[in-house]
Amino acid sequence: MPALDAAPVRDADAVYRPRPPFLDELFERDGTPRPTARALVAALAQLGPAGLIEAGRRRDAIFMQQGITFETGGGDGPTHDRPFPMDLVPRVLGGAEWTSIKRGLAQRIRALNHFVDDVYHTREIVHERIVPWRLVASCSHFARAVHGIRPPGGVYTHVAGCDLVRHSDGSWRVIEDNVRIPSGISYVLENRAAMARLVPELFASYRVRPIDHYPQLLLGALRAVAPSAESEATVVVWTPGPANPAYFEHAFLARQMGVELVEASDLVVRDDVLYMRTIKGLERAHAVYRRIDDDFVDPLEFRGDSLLGVPGLVRAYRAGNVAIANALGTGVADDKAVYRFVPEMIRFYLGEEPILENVRTYLPSDPEVLEHVLGHLDELVVKPTGESGGRGVMIGPHADEVEIAQMRRLLLAAPDRWIAQDVVELSTVPVVDADGLLVPRHVDLRPFAVFGERIDIVPGGLSRVALEEGSLIVNSSRGGGSKDTWVLEDGDDADRAGPPIADTQPPALPDLRYGTWVAQQQQQQQEQPQQRGVRCPAPRR
Amino acid sequence: MHFAIRFLTEYHYDAPVTDNLNSLRVRPATTSTQRCDEFHTRIEPEARIARHLDYFGTEVIEFGVPTPHDHLTIDVRARVVTSNQPDPREGSWESLRSASYTDAAGEFALPWQDQPTIAGLEDLEAAISAETPLKTLERLCQVIPERFEYRPGATYVGSGVDELLRKKAGVCQDFAHLSLVLLRRMGIAARYVSGYLWAAPDDAASDSLEVDTHAWVEALLPDADEGGEPQWVSVDPTNRRLADSSHVKIGHGRFYADVAPVKGLFIGGATSTLSAAVTLSLLDPQSGAKP
Amino acid sequence: MLARIAHELYWLGRNLARAEFTARAVEAVLQAELQGASDAAPGVSFGSGGLLAMLGDDHGQGNTSRTLGQLILDRERPESMLASIERARDGARTVRDVISAEMWQAINTTALGLHRAGQPGWGTPAGPFLASQYIKERTSLIWGIANRSMLRDEAKCFLDAGGLIEISDMVLRMLHVAMPPTDSPPADGTALILLQAVGGFHAYLRAVTAPPNADPVARFLLFERSYPDSVAACVDSLHEVFMVADAGPRNSKPVLRVSRLAADLDFQRRALPEGSELTGICSETRQELGYLDQDVAERYFAGAAAAGPRGEL
Repeated sequence: MPALDAAPVRDADAVYRPRPPFLDELFERDGTPRPTARALVAALAQLGPAGLIEAGRRRDAIFMQQGITFETGGGDGPTHDRPFPMDLVPRVLGGAEWTSIKRGLAQRIRALNHFVDDVYHTREIVHERIVPWRLVASCSHFARAVHGIRPPGGVYTHVAGCDLVRHSDGSWRVIEDNVRIPSGISYVLENRAAMARLVPELFASYRVRPIDHYPQLLLGALRAVAPSAESEATVVVWTPGPANPAYFEHAFLARQMGVELVEASDLVVRDDVLYMRTIKGLERAHAVYRRIDDDFVDPLEFRGDSLLGVPGLVRAYRAGNVAIANALGTGVADDKAVYRFVPEMIRFYLGEEPILENVRTYLPSDPEVLEHVLGHLDELVVKPTGESGGRGVMIGPHADEVEIAQMRRLLLAAPDRWIAQDVVELSTVPVVDADGLLVPRHVDLRPFAVFGERIDIVPGGLSRVALEEGSLIVNSSRGGGSKDTWVLEDGDDADRAGPPIADTQPPALPDLRYGTWVAQQQQQQQEQPQQRGVRCPAPRR
Repeated sequence: MHFAIRFLTEYHYDAPVTDNLNSLRVRPATTSTQRCDEFHTRIEPEARIARHLDYFGTEVIEFGVPTPHDHLTIDVRARVVTSNQPDPREGSWESLRSASYTDAAGEFALPWQDQPTIAGLEDLEAAISAETPLKTLERLCQVIPERFEYRPGATYVGSGVDELLRKKAGVCQDFAHLSLVLLRRMGIAARYVSGYLWAAPDDAASDSLEVDTHAWVEALLPDADEGGEPQWVSVDPTNRRLADSSHVKIGHGRFYADVAPVKGLFIGGATSTLSAAVTLSLLDPQSGAKP
Repeated sequence: MLARIAHELYWLGRNLARAEFTARAVEAVLQAELQGASDAAPGVSFGSGGLLAMLGDDHGQGNTSRTLGQLILDRERPESMLASIERARDGARTVRDVISAEMWQAINTTALGLHRAGQPGWGTPAGPFLASQYIKERTSLIWGIANRSMLRDEAKCFLDAGGLIEISDMVLRMLHVAMPPTDSPPADGTALILLQAVGGFHAYLRAVTAPPNADPVARFLLFERSYPDSVAACVDSLHEVFMVADAGPRNSKPVLRVSRLAADLDFQRRALPEGSELTGICSETRQELGYLDQDVAERYFAGAAAAGPRGEL
């Protein structure tokens, strides 16, 4: 087989072996490269194991030095920074395939946006008995505080990152929607930049669609929805602070967009208008790209113990004086139990058939479904509804008896906090292992969509790969790595950057915080009178 | 009954504070058994007031004092006419499962989230359980005040039901919360009600009373007829009875935090002293207002 | 520029300058004491005890060399050099994207170096001396990198402002300790240590013809505008940086105060005859710098520093 000769070889056995039934995206079942991947495989062979190992070494050094690290560990264990593991083999998507993904995503995101609006206003989808109200009301991210508020431009899901997987039949399926604060775009952009520096030879035979206009797309969308009548809107990126695992991305986006990176103590609401504190006094902010959960944004309306929040922000938002991206309360749309209804939403709100399929999902809150799920725990994936990042997920076929027994107890105790899904046969892609050889690993895809005046999706997205053999968990917080994702320029021009969105400022230097600033802005709860009530002196009967 | 209500809240800070943002849920609701005729709010230092209806339909009054100040006065006056609620109907337990009941109950039938399993609830549940939901409600009003002492100071504003069960004492807020937990466990939708109560004995000479804000619950009871509309029934477990025209409702929610009368935040290192007083005056229903 | 960022930069400057001048003073005093000009010598008040007093330490009695050691390396004590460096590092981390990468690295490396328990010799009697030298060198390096690698924008202005205000204050503190308001004239030995503590010995020799006696040294440290660490030169530079950083310098309290102070120092230099009492002008200037610090907080930091002062002038 010619491809085997071309592939890096350690010894006679070290050939690339796809793992049927899983689909491999670069190689056919017999190990020959797919047509679009031929030149890439040849270029990889040219580099050889030694070349790939050497490039990997340079990559780690660069990522460490630039602080492109990700915190791992999680749970209660210790966390530590490590270079975000980017694999050197790009993932290649054809233009036509991408077009269909893109249309499917835009359709889905439009429907999700409708759903959020509906839930906080007329609830038509509930009245039509398509989505049960109790399901919505029991979502942990259902935000009663923003009931009846319609954000500027009617856009809620400004940034969406839906997770897609490719089934063994080649079809793409949505496995999860992320319309709160999806993260990862900085890695997409950094990966591309790093690839171009580390292994430029791989690009030689390809025309790869550019992605570096993402920050401008985002800035354009934020300006488009910002309620600023008179002048150019002031946009800020709001980070919880340097301790946040995604802080790197917050600083990156602020720098790339040329806007301030603010923390809660920089912001103040006066007379329902949001301001930031500058050395010239208060300056109005019109749009906030917030990277902080609903729960923490405004201690007056959400969690009262939040010190990360800006009291009064919801007032400013309700008064229409500030755009918040993503809008508050979008968590109802990416709830894992609500996910099951997204295809219905597309039919209901848009009158279209879904382009992208869902993975079959079971809601154990229904006693009959629960019974079915309990009977098939070893075949299903069970996920908690209120979590993200792969926490609490049990993969039936990989779980031992203890884990399954534990899951059974949890399901019986609170069936409405879990969903079950069929196991998806995630496709594989080759990654470079420690010896510089190519081995197949499972992969998913998180494209990033920006919704301002229209929906734009940067070509490709974050491809997350499981770094352990056979593992289906790709979350970066759980040891996954990433890949540069190429969408090839082959005729379909729909992704070409449109007319320039807006003039861009030269990057002002964003900023981080530490130390005693917050302590100096001591925020206190107004004492609340307890409802002590009254007891009638003589109970009347 | 016809009431004049004055709700006066004063905060004194021992050092100047700024950016004092507050939201009030103090305006009596207008319902089928109650009408709010007049309502005024005065804030000192002066502040711009914004109003909106929240998710549960309660009017929220919002204001903020940005500049340094060392006191805050919230002075609310209202005039309300109330009447007794209609007699509740005697629906069956089975009707709790009907679609019309489930629809009307909505989220108020959901188990109280994040409420840990508390020892002692089964006992109470057994004690109040009766042939019909209405009878259960009536038992609830007897059992809770029998088993728990009404004692201001036993709990605080943030206390949970577990604390009431442990201390065997609490105030109306705790009694209401416990009622909600019990009723929802039994499948009866229930919600927390915040309001004012005219608590004078029948023979009282005075027509004016100083009270605190009060809390009770509304439970959704099915109609006696199959297919009839279920009905929210107001019940006051602190005072061992169904609510009546001496209860003035402000609003309802899932629990206290949804209808807390005053919520606020300020910036500054000061400690504050709070004084809050509710004065209810009975106005002659015939001649209208009294001075 | 965000007020919080300006505030962090200002305090970064102050902490760096504080550490640097503490180190200089410690080194000078230790050197002097090794050479026998100790506290015991009559009239000399600028020894370990004086130094400790200057840095706000009230238990300067007893074993001074150990106390000095603590002053340098005890993280628990806010006035220690280590604490200053720690605070500088915390601040620098916050403004990492604003200062240069090199500068962050230099500050971080300095802090890491202080952590390393095994710095050879720091546990020995010569420890305080060695540690002071380390900090002196490192802080000079950091300022050098700042000047070479940072843009001269608002960010640099606030960094410099913090540094300048701290330097002037440190110099004034040293003058205060070395020349207490007594009837007896200050001892000349003190003046020499003082010059060395500030690091201006050679500059003095070149600028002033008189021998380094108390009065000319004090005048030099107060009024000599061509010597960058003199109070007058610092005040001049403060005026420059605020003129750049302030959006409306014409009615800016910090700018007005600092230009008044500059004019006043210039007037006093000419009005006060040589040999006249300087303690008055010293304490007035210190007071003015204190007010200036408040003005800066009010005007640029949105009252941030008002609620909880992190250090005092």
